[in-house]
Amino acid sequence: MSFQRRLTSGEFVVLAEMNTPKGVNVSALVANARKIKGRVDAVIVPDMDNGVMRMSALAGGALIHQQGMEAIIHLYCRDRNRMALQGDVLAANFLGIQNLLVVSGEEMANGDHRDAAVVNDLDEVELIGAIKALQNGVDMSGFSLDGTPEFTTGCTLGAFADEKTLDAELADLEKKVAAGASFVVTPPVFDVERFAASLEKIAALNVPVIASVFLLKSVGIARYMSLNEPGAHISEEMIKRIRKAPDREMECLRIAGETIAQLKKRVQGVKIETQGWEHKLPTILGFAGL
Amino acid sequence: MITAERKPMDEIMGMIDGCGRILLVGCNECVTVCAAGGRKEVALLAAGLQMASMKKGRALDVREMTLERQCDPEYVEELAPHIDQVDAVVSMACGCGVQEVARRFKKTPVYPALNTKFMGASEGPGIWAERCQGCGDCLLGLTGGICPIARCAKRLMNGPCGGSTNGKCEIGNDVDCAWHLIWERMKELGIEDRYEDVIAAKDWRTGRGNGPRKILREDLA
Repeated sequence: MSFQRRLTSGEFVVLAEMNTPKGVNVSALVANARKIKGRVDAVIVPDMDNGVMRMSALAGGALIHQQGMEAIIHLYCRDRNRMALQGDVLAANFLGIQNLLVVSGEEMANGDHRDAAVVNDLDEVELIGAIKALQNGVDMSGFSLDGTPEFTTGCTLGAFADEKTLDAELADLEKKVAAGASFVVTPPVFDVERFAASLEKIAALNVPVIASVFLLKSVGIARYMSLNEPGAHISEEMIKRIRKAPDREMECLRIAGETIAQLKKRVQGVKIETQGWEHKLPTILGFAGL
Repeated sequence: MITAERKPMDEIMGMIDGCGRILLVGCNECVTVCAAGGRKEVALLAAGLQMASMKKGRALDVREMTLERQCDPEYVEELAPHIDQVDAVVSMACGCGVQEVARRFKKTPVYPALNTKFMGASEGPGIWAERCQGCGDCLLGLTGGICPIARCAKRLMNGPCGGSTNGKCEIGNDVDCAWHLIWERMKELGIEDRYEDVIAAKDWRTGRGNGPRKILREDLA
């Protein structure tokens, strides 16, 4: 069953994030994707994730499609104007990519091409609207298309540390949903019980919610996230659990798997982010009982 | 200077719809020079707004002021005694001035009467043309004093695109090809050999690549 059909029928969806290479060697991407074929519903391919120049998501999505898997590619406005974005959307359809996730681009200052010019011709709401228009057969200038694309388009909920910032992010989310987004991906969830309280507000928008599960790869990363990401809510207990584990790496994978299992009862799906450990996805899925 | 043009009357009227009394504020700097928002333009717009309001059967009290500079807090403060007596401020400054007034007076709406256009120079009576985009890392020393960022339609850094004809840009006969101007200027200066120097891909961090910019002069702060 396709990702879109699972979403509309209320089935739980499992999405795995996989980055394209910084270069043209796609062997690791292909090998890692094949390992989880049949165990995930779609592979999310970010575009220049964290502002790092890589092979574009369009190629990554096409590659995933070639492996007989469904792809969801990131689209964002930092690097492309409305012409390039619309052209890529049409190309994505031609290349067999059925799903798009409109995201916020990382600040150029935080990437590896800090001297690059920033485009930001559109914002996320406008881009979602443009994708919807293309699906209705017209481009942003009102010209008719010869053949219209079809997509399931999602959006993201910005990070929130408290109720006040959640409310502001929800106001933005509402605009994205009104513009045409049909699912939402949340920021990483580490404390499922705490997230459940916010989930009530998010669910009020009546759009399928996919929770991000971020693999904490080490005590250092867990500590860094707890200190620098106010919305992460990583408990001292969790950090201690990783630190005291005989096999810390395995414990990190187990925590991610357990988080997925807990989330399964509460949200429509999960998006697993492994930060370069895509080869560990089968283990995480195993711990999650998937 | 920063150049500007007045917004259409209907748009200004739309912004102040519902206001009975406004403070119309001009600026004595750039927008006076480019005849968009100085004392004279304030008087003209005040009369225009009152006439347009009368046509709609409404009374509009317009108080006129022109500050020395709207982008400077010292002068913006002169509005303080009047601000509580009006429903809104309509600023005839560039976007810098509008925002400075809005920053100072948080409870009063401030509406722009101008569209801020560009940093430019006068080419003759009634003509202003773009000269600078404030990239933050001036390369005029490499290009004979003519900016390809502001004046080349494609912002090309290493010679023309090939679309120019008789020194004019392919976007229109009234636009000079910046690289034609650069070449002619370099010939006049006898530095044609520098034309072959390749300008490296520009570092846009100084030009908003890293977000809103700020200058801090510690010797003055």
